[in-house]
This record gives sequence, structure tokens and C-alpha cells, in this order.
Amino acid sequence: MSTRISASLVVNEQGEIACMECGHALGPAGEPWKQAARLSQTPLQGAAGEPYSNAANVLLRRFFCPGCAALLDSETALAEDPFLNDIVHV
Amino acid sequence: MDPITFSIIRHRLYRVIDEAVITLKHVSGSAITNEGHDLMVSLYRADGSLLMGGVGFLHHLTSAAEACKAIIRRFEGRIDEGDVFLTNCPYTAALHTSDVYLVAPIHYDGELVAWSACFVHVYDIGAMVPGGFSPDSRDIFTEGFSSPGLKLVSGGEMNTDVMDTILNMVRAPEMVALDLSSMIAANNVARERMVALVDKYGPQPVDQACQMLVDQSEQSLRERLRELPDGRWESRQYFDIEEETYRVLLAMTKKGDSLTFDFSGSSEQSKYGINCAYWAAWGGFFAPLFPLLCYDITWNDGVLRPISMIAPEGTIVNCTRPAPISLATVGAIQSVNNAACVCISKMLSASEKYAKEATAVWHGSHFAIFMFGQNQKNQEAIGIMTETFGGAGGGRSFADGVDVGGEIPNPIGRMANVETTESHFPVRYLFRRATGDSGGPGKYRGGTSLEYAIQQHDSPDGGIHYVVSGKGTKFSMSDGLGGGYPGAPCNFRWVHNNDAAEAGKNVNPFATSLDQMTGEQQSISWGVFPLMDRDVLYVRSDGGGGYGDPLMREPDKTARDVREGSVSKGVARSVYGVVLDAEGGVDAEASMRARDAIRAQRLGQEAAE
Ligand SMILES: [Zn+2]
Repeated sequence: MSTRISASLVVNEQGEIACMECGHALGPAGEPWKQAARLSQTPLQGAAGEPYSNAANVLLRRFFCPGCAALLDSETALAEDPFLNDIVHV
Repeated sequence: MDPITFSIIRHRLYRVIDEAVITLKHVSGSAITNEGHDLMVSLYRADGSLLMGGVGFLHHLTSAAEACKAIIRRFEGRIDEGDVFLTNCPYTAALHTSDVYLVAPIHYDGELVAWSACFVHVYDIGAMVPGGFSPDSRDIFTEGFSSPGLKLVSGGEMNTDVMDTILNMVRAPEMVALDLSSMIAANNVARERMVALVDKYGPQPVDQACQMLVDQSEQSLRERLRELPDGRWESRQYFDIEEETYRVLLAMTKKGDSLTFDFSGSSEQSKYGINCAYWAAWGGFFAPLFPLLCYDITWNDGVLRPISMIAPEGTIVNCTRPAPISLATVGAIQSVNNAACVCISKMLSASEKYAKEATAVWHGSHFAIFMFGQNQKNQEAIGIMTETFGGAGGGRSFADGVDVGGEIPNPIGRMANVETTESHFPVRYLFRRATGDSGGPGKYRGGTSLEYAIQQHDSPDGGIHYVVSGKGTKFSMSDGLGGGYPGAPCNFRWVHNNDAAEAGKNVNPFATSLDQMTGEQQSISWGVFPLMDRDVLYVRSDGGGGYGDPLMREPDKTARDVREGSVSKGVARSVYGVVLDAEGGVDAEASMRARDAIRAQRLGQEAAE
């Protein structure tokens, strides 16, 4: 039985964080998982059409599952700021 | 107490507030109250603690409790039947000077049994610029009249010396008098109905029911928290004022049946009035907490008990007097609203049972435009463009965000008709509509925002002026959830010398989009600007955050979005991987190829490490 920990992630029976879609493991539960994901980091300006065009030097970070390419999480960030880190105890 | 009596008393308390809100709206004459519903009425226990939170802007529920407590401390031994007290000091309890609290004790047989409290954003408060939002102020001393507590009504008699002093310090005093009268009326109705309730059931049973109600809320919230997983969730809000960038950082920790909101690391307080004080930050996260976690729990002091806050002094979320604060409600408080919405929603997403209650951020940035000047009836017109309450819904785990769907902190917020605004201000709308591509992409798309353009019309002075206090033009403030993109940022443009606005005449055809305007365009976001002669003001609000992966969206839904103008063909293809055929239907094969190509591109990215 896996336990849901976010809209896109579970903790599997081995105690690993894993993709809800394909089960690809992303490291031990309770630890940061984003480092194990594929990252696209692009200016928010060009993210999704003209209304985003006046965004400044802020980045849209998107974290993808290396197994199935599902978009697991996204955040906006200035380049110098760390990844947001969420910890769920199961 | 038998459960039926308890239930009746509980519902009567709701109705007391309902009726007081109706009174407030009937007496008040300003659009921000009547149309925008920038208001609040709630009931408090004899010690000032929250008994029954009402509707309106929810960050006021707890702040007005602090207002009651501040009045109790200041006027100890001098609180009598029929008194009404006023406070609007942000360093005491209020959010900013414009949001004036009127709080009134409710006595029964000479005993203090409860308080009622309400607020409206008054027509004017005597700050540097009309309307109360004062972007040029660098301290609270230039943000208008501010009182930590005074007695406006004494035993049912107006203290005219106090009233006249306030009215002597504000613009359009007749309108401010109406605002204050509307709040006195609302408090009077709340008192009459509460006294009738106590009369019917007796003071002891009503007191017992109130105590049970508060205890019940505490128990219910603690039970709910125990059902949710322990953890720590982070969110981050950026906002820009002129050349400065500010951060509101939140780490929310849930352990057992308690919840802590920690704002450590947030920016130092600003020289601009976008700061908020301690109780405003406290109320700021309760605004999304009440509806998201306590949708079936009575909003009262019991909800507050499991919650704590860390807000370092001297920061943007707990500024030190005399820092300016007049734009707190559209500044730091709204960032606190948003950051808390994200953390609470992430926690809900971590639970099978509660995941459906999670939401991406709704309407992350108010785009408050305050107009002021002589109108076509030669009256002094001051007020907000109520589109700022139009909002945009965030995507949820089961549905798109509602287009122009309001905001979480004010469940009854709404905006005026174009015609209402045109009858009050000497302006004409060129257009007002939903903005394509503004909702954050996701499996469930964020709601679209608004765009509108206005020019002066029939103005005795050749036009009027407006205050822009926009944040969120350089950053998206409506964060997505579960991978969903944030909604698009705001945009304010001053179009100079637009042909379609010649001398305020009804020139046809109107420009029906920003592209069609002939004048030179200038991006603006902060300060006082003219809407004179042939100036046009174009405003675009921020879209709602998206939920989930846009590649998981049913292609037919995106085809419908394109048909309805909510999403462009280009974004349908590049972000959603949906290709349409000549008739606007989904080209299934081409879409599959497009989505495969996007997935391949994603897998071609470097590891984040
Ligand atoms: Zn996967």
C-alpha cells in the first residue's frame, strides 16, 4: 500500500517517495525529492502566452518525473532562491 | 443543554450577523461596501474573543477581536450600555487606517454579555491621496486619521465633538458620516437581535451555548488536524513595488493537532505602505484557513486555539511603528493569504480524505485603482474600481478555477456593473471582459482574469485622477498546485493621447483591445496618475493558479477553451499539447504526437541536482 503525500507523489511500501503515475522512486521519505527530478527552469515571461510577457526576471521551475515525464510540481523563483521543500511524515 | 436548543441558538447567531450585514449595506452609500462587499460584521464574547465570524473579508474576523480587546483594556470601567467605540489604528488592531472598526458592547440587564463589531473601508480617511491608499506616504503620520480607541456614541447619544473632529479631517465628510452611520446601524441591529435572543432563552443558557460553540469548534478542528499527516510545507510570495522586490516566506508545520505558521526569513519592512502589522498577519492566514479547513466548523475563538504564528518584528509581516501601512490589505496581507492558501492546500493534498478540498491560489493580487475627482454631477467622487474584487478562481483537484471567480478571503466579494461605475465616475469603458491565456495552465486550468480599459467622459475638469497600488505585475502571485502553472501577472498601462478618446467625445469605433489603441503605451504600477483628455487606463488582472499537469487535461476541454477564447491556439499546442483541426475539434493523432514530443523534451532536461 502506498500513501499519498501530495497531488502527484506517494510514499511506497519501501519507504521511498515515488511518482503517483508510474511509481518511479525519487529517494527516501522525509527527505527532499526535487533533486531526483528532471528540472526545467525557464523565464516565466515565455511560459504560457502573452499575458505572462510582463513578468520580470522570475523563473518558472517545473519538476518532472524521470520515469514518465509527469509534471510533479512547479514553483516560481528568483535564480538565487532555493527549491521549496515540503516534508510529509508518513 | 439539549442539542436542539443549542442548534437553534447557533443558527440565531448566524442570522443576527446576516441581518446586521443587510443593515450595513442598506445604510451605506459607497460602492466599495454595496457593490464590492468590502465589509465585515461578527459577534464576540464578553471578553472580546471571536464568537461567530461573519462574511466579508475574513482577515477581519480575528483583527476585530483584537479591536474589542483593545477597547476593553482602554475603557475598563467606562463601558456602558448603548456605547459604540471606534478604532482604526493598524498598530492596535486594524489592518489599515481606511478600514475603520466600530465595536459595540451588548448588555442584558446591565451585564455585558457580548460585543458586535463591523468595518467598512470608509470613503476617505484624510491620507495624502483621496481614498486612503497612500503610495507616497513614508510613515503612518501621513496616512490619515488614526485612533487606538475612542467613544463615538455614549449611552445611545452621538458624541458630536468626536464625530465632528473625524469629519473635519476627511474629504467628502458627508460620505464618511454615512459610512460611520451604517456601522452604528449595523451594531444597533446586532444588539437588538442579541438582546431578543437572550430574552427568549435566558442569559445563562445563551452563555452556555456560546461556550459550547467555541469548545466545539476547537474540538472539531483538532480532530481534523489529527486526521491530516504531520509535516512541514513551504511557500514563497514575491512582490514588486517600483524597483524593490519583497518576499513573504512561510513554513507551515503541522504536528498532531496543532498548526504553526512561521514567516521567518520574510523581507524587512518596506519604506512603502505595503507592510502589515502583527494582528493583520495573524488574520491574514485565517482568511484562507477558515474556508479551507473549517468549512463545516463555526468560525470562532475555538479555531484559533490550536494555531500559533511566528512573525519576526521589523519584517514586512510584522512592521514596527511608524512604518507606513495604508496598502497592507493589497500588500503583505494578501501575500500572507496566498502563502497560507498554498501551504494549507499542500497539506490537504497529502490526505486521501481531504485532497479534494485543496485549491491553487485564487486572485493572488488585488489591482486596486482608487479614482478621485469631480464627477459629471459636480460631486466629489472618490472610490475604488470594484473590478479588483472580480478575482479569478484557482484550479482544484476536480474542476477548473472559476473564470473571474472572486477570491478566497472574501466569499461574498463581487464587482459593480459597468453602468454603475460610469454613473458614479466621469469615465467610459472601452471594454471589459475575461482575458485569454490568463488562467494558469494545468489539468484543471486556473480561472481567467479580467481586462478593461477606461477613458474620461463628461468630466467638468477634463478628467480625473487615480491611484495605482499594483503589485504582481512582475511576478505571478496566484501560485499553481500539484504542478499547475501560476496564473498570469497583472498589467497596468497608461495609454497617452489615444485617438479613440478624443476630447471625451463618443468616437467610433471604440478601441476594443489594447492592440487597437493608437497612443503611446506606458507600463505603470504605483503612484497617482491622470485620466485626463485623451488618456486611457488599461488594466489586466491576474489569472487563477492551475492544478496538475496540463498534459493530463482532457483535450476536448482545451478545444472548448480555444473556442471560448480562454486559451489561444498557440498555448493549446505548446503547453497543453493539443492540436486542433480546421473545424476547431481535437486532432487526436497530432495531439498525441505533440504530447509525446513535449514528454520527450521533459525527459531530455538535466536532473535537478
Ligand atoms: Zn512518473
